[in-house]
Amino acid sequence: MLDISNAPDGTTDAMIRLTGVTKHYEGSDAPAVAPLTMDIRRGEFVCLVGPSGCGKTTTLRMINRLVEPTAGQIWIDGQDVTHSDPDQLRRHIGYVIQQVGLIPHMSIGQNVGIVPSMLGWDRKRISARVDELLELVGLDPSVYRSRYPKQLSGGQQQRVGVARALAADPPVMLMDEPFGAIDPITRERLQAEFLQLQERIRKTIVFVTHDVDEALRLGDRIAIFAEGSRLAQFDTPLEILTNPADDFVRTFIGEGAALRRLSLLRVGDLPASVDSGEPVDLTVGADETVAGVLEKMLMAGAERVHVAGGATLTVQDMLLATALPKHPALR
Amino acid sequence: MSFLDYVSENSTRISFLFLQHVQVVLISVGLATVVSILLAMVTERLPKTRKAALSITGTILTIPSFALFGLMIPLFGLGVAPTVLALTVYAVFPILRNAVTGLETVDASVVDAARGMGMASRQRLWRIRLPLAWPVILNGIRVATIMVVAIAAIGAAVRGPGLGELIFRGLSRMGAANALNEALAGVVAIVVVAAVMDVLFLIIGRVTTPRGLHA
Repeated sequence: MLDISNAPDGTTDAMIRLTGVTKHYEGSDAPAVAPLTMDIRRGEFVCLVGPSGCGKTTTLRMINRLVEPTAGQIWIDGQDVTHSDPDQLRRHIGYVIQQVGLIPHMSIGQNVGIVPSMLGWDRKRISARVDELLELVGLDPSVYRSRYPKQLSGGQQQRVGVARALAADPPVMLMDEPFGAIDPITRERLQAEFLQLQERIRKTIVFVTHDVDEALRLGDRIAIFAEGSRLAQFDTPLEILTNPADDFVRTFIGEGAALRRLSLLRVGDLPASVDSGEPVDLTVGADETVAGVLEKMLMAGAERVHVAGGATLTVQDMLLATALPKHPALR
Repeated sequence: MSFLDYVSENSTRISFLFLQHVQVVLISVGLATVVSILLAMVTERLPKTRKAALSITGTILTIPSFALFGLMIPLFGLGVAPTVLALTVYAVFPILRNAVTGLETVDASVVDAARGMGMASRQRLWRIRLPLAWPVILNGIRVATIMVVAIAAIGAAVRGPGLGELIFRGLSRMGAANALNEALAGVVAIVVVAAVMDVLFLIIGRVTTPRGLHA
């Protein structure tokens, strides 16, 4: 598992580093992005979330310089890319957008192969890579590689969008509301699949969304932007739910923060209560979430649950433990 | 002599003029296509120039063709050159208009995604925007062609090639033997040219529209 501690330690393993990055459009008083400094670690999945107009998309688009920053520096993998050739830079950064933007007159295979072909890979290598990626996103290459974008559903198109962004195996992926235009059921499936995919590929991902639930579900850390592109809080989902930095964050994450935390906390992290020796009705794994275990207990009518290799908990134990705002598990 | 008798008796001359007509139209439209697409590409980042180009070529379209051909005489004399030139000038507007519209209406998210993948602007133009705009541009070429088929007849006023000769000669001898048949043959042949061209464009459209854009 990736170690997710709170504050960006910054110095060593920042994959993406923004220092004082600012965007000011001519003819507008307020900056679109006020000086922003943040570090995103290697292999980290960071969600940028906030109301529309908060500068999250502009921030994302400055990382691959689709928007040129007015001031500040952008570092990727230890290199200052603020003034490098933008086309070369972009070929080494995956980019996925809400509208997908598959090229309609190119087949799915050609779409996925665009960046490798620009990088001068030979045909055989591109073709093998295309098949590998289509498999990876759950599309049978023999069926889909010669189809055209119009023949695919919205969900399938976005799978191709993700495959295309991964084609040249870039270390960094930028995703701008990739699942925003997809129906809720498909969206949930794509989110779950994408999390599994990330477990394997371990890319550094910057993911823009306006949906705080999506951010809580996907992000290792979440950057919450307020109006006027103020970075209100940049922390783990658990920490944001437990200790919202200010009223804006509290309002933004909305009702039910305490309940939402239950699906982030794992029962193994709860303190062991004194074992009363009474019989247990249910045994669960230590890495199951509190919400998942409560669900099981409710379904089974169980009062007490045994955590494999650990404590025995009652419903009351679990609720009391998770209610503690400064519980060690939350640090 | 009946019209059909006239046509069969003069078939050699009529078919010669028919081919000339087709040639002069294709040459003019071909030149206009190159000029228009270049103009559309060059003015991509010059919106004012593009607007000016559109309004100038649009205004030229309002000059009566007879007058335009006449104005060409002092500059280019008589014959093929002034005819081709005038027809080209007429054909630019519909093609340019559609080229501009076609390029501007390419789905912005497709272009953004391509840019985000590191495709340079020239590659985006040749590999993405022009192919996607092509059906719209082709339609402009088709409109220009139909228009120029009719206008080319007036080219006979400056001794230009094509079927206009039959019409002008027929009309100038009206009342004489076969004068009406001669003019009518010119008119009918021009309609046939237009119809043939239209079918031709349908076929070109089918063949050149990239797969993936159909249906």
